[in-house]
Amino acid sequence: MPEDKPGTPATGTGAGNIHIMVADGASIPDPREWRLINAWSISLTLAVCALVTLCVVWPQPYKEILIYLSDGLLVTFQVTLLSIMCALPLGLLTGLGRISRNRLLNLVASTYVEIIRGIPLLVQIFYIYYGLAKFVQVDSMTSAVIAISVCYGAYMGEVFRAGIQAISKGQAEAARSLGFTRFQTMRHVILPQALRTILPPVGNECIAMLKDTSLVSVTSLNDIMRLGRSYANANGLEFEPYSIIAIIYLIITLLLSKAVSLMEARLNYYDRRK
Amino acid sequence: MFRKLLLASLAVALMAGSALADGKKYIVASDATWPPMELLDNQKNVIGYSTDYINAVAKEAGIDIEVRNVAWDGILTGVGSDRYQIIASSVTITPERRKRLDFSDPYCEIHQAVTLPKGQSIKSLQDLKGKKVGGQISTTGIFVLRNSKVDADIREYDDVGLALRDLASGRLDAVICDEPVARYYANKRKEFENKLQIALVTDDVEYYGFVVKKGNTALRETLNKGIKAVKEKGIEKQLMEKWMGK
Repeated sequence: MPEDKPGTPATGTGAGNIHIMVADGASIPDPREWRLINAWSISLTLAVCALVTLCVVWPQPYKEILIYLSDGLLVTFQVTLLSIMCALPLGLLTGLGRISRNRLLNLVASTYVEIIRGIPLLVQIFYIYYGLAKFVQVDSMTSAVIAISVCYGAYMGEVFRAGIQAISKGQAEAARSLGFTRFQTMRHVILPQALRTILPPVGNECIAMLKDTSLVSVTSLNDIMRLGRSYANANGLEFEPYSIIAIIYLIITLLLSKAVSLMEARLNYYDRRK
Repeated sequence: MFRKLLLASLAVALMAGSALADGKKYIVASDATWPPMELLDNQKNVIGYSTDYINAVAKEAGIDIEVRNVAWDGILTGVGSDRYQIIASSVTITPERRKRLDFSDPYCEIHQAVTLPKGQSIKSLQDLKGKKVGGQISTTGIFVLRNSKVDADIREYDDVGLALRDLASGRLDAVICDEPVARYYANKRKEFENKLQIALVTDDVEYYGFVVKKGNTALRETLNKGIKAVKEKGIEKQLMEKWMGK
């Protein structure tokens, strides 16, 4: 692998080019960064090495903890994936609602965002699982997914709205004058372009969501945080299980952020070749 | 200038901290989610059998204590890192815990109880096979269930009240916890009236002890002296009647 290929400059070179610079989200690696040694690869290598070293050198307790936590990993993944799948469409709908000219839709979407954004996720989880148990009963997995996707749907709605509004008005005007309907304009002209701006912050939200799934341990759902706490209590070890949990979350998050950055690179294909 | 100020205030804070520790006031940690052993009253004071007991012990042993409400999750490690000196929180004396903590003499004798919705019954722990059973995280109830090798779906909650609430609402099939606690919730709480009942009490006896840091023999001896006096003077019996009735 060519290790020291001169790094391509990040900004467009053409003087008169209109170049949309996509701002990188805080934790998303720069897709144009192809060198071997970068922040992402260093973090991943360190995390994996730390995990392997701990498990090989001190199988007791580290390997034992890792095995103990493995069922929890599945639950954490399940909650995260389901929540992402629900939160994305919810976010898109909210974003569209926020810019809708229909007063009612706009009001509903805006109220939803204002209310949900103002309530901590932990409180929402308690509310849905324990608070609403009086009226409807949902199991811990469902309530976790509902709480997380409702919460993140609101945040993502704002991201979608910002992304859509960032596309210049001229685009919509041009499409409309070509005879596109309002829906077609949104579907074929605005959204595909907005997607490029939206992807990094949405990726960020997904990563934040993954980390926030640790909150659902309060509903007795056996995710890795809950199992880790239970191990810590039962064995009187605090440092060891929480270290392993931190490393596991870090590795998953790094992989997720790489996936987002690869997707971003694909979307920015033409930008890169300029 | 700013740095000097910071250092000075740090030094003052440190001295104040050590002065407090020298004042021989022992901090007692209790998780007040375990009625009637430890609970909060409406003024947010910790009350209950263990609390009254440790206060009586302190009086007899001539030490000054202050009871604080500390979450159960992690309570046992806090005493090792000197965040408090004593735990009075219905901690059952087990061989595993003995390895890393020192216990006073026992101050209460209890059994484990399985609570079920009213009208249901079981004959032994084995009948919980395949059932969703809740309990408070890392309490002896959970350990008993795990050790009995029953293939139950064990759910651990941050506090036992949440588990019982889930039992009453039907999301759990059973809850396992210390018998006095189960009795308190099943009989004394309005919201569970006619909903829950104690279906099984295990034969194995467990003892509660006050916890001190491993190696702190002096404090342990002081507490033991106090416990002995409390037992001899009949205060223990009064407290039993006060908190557990009959």
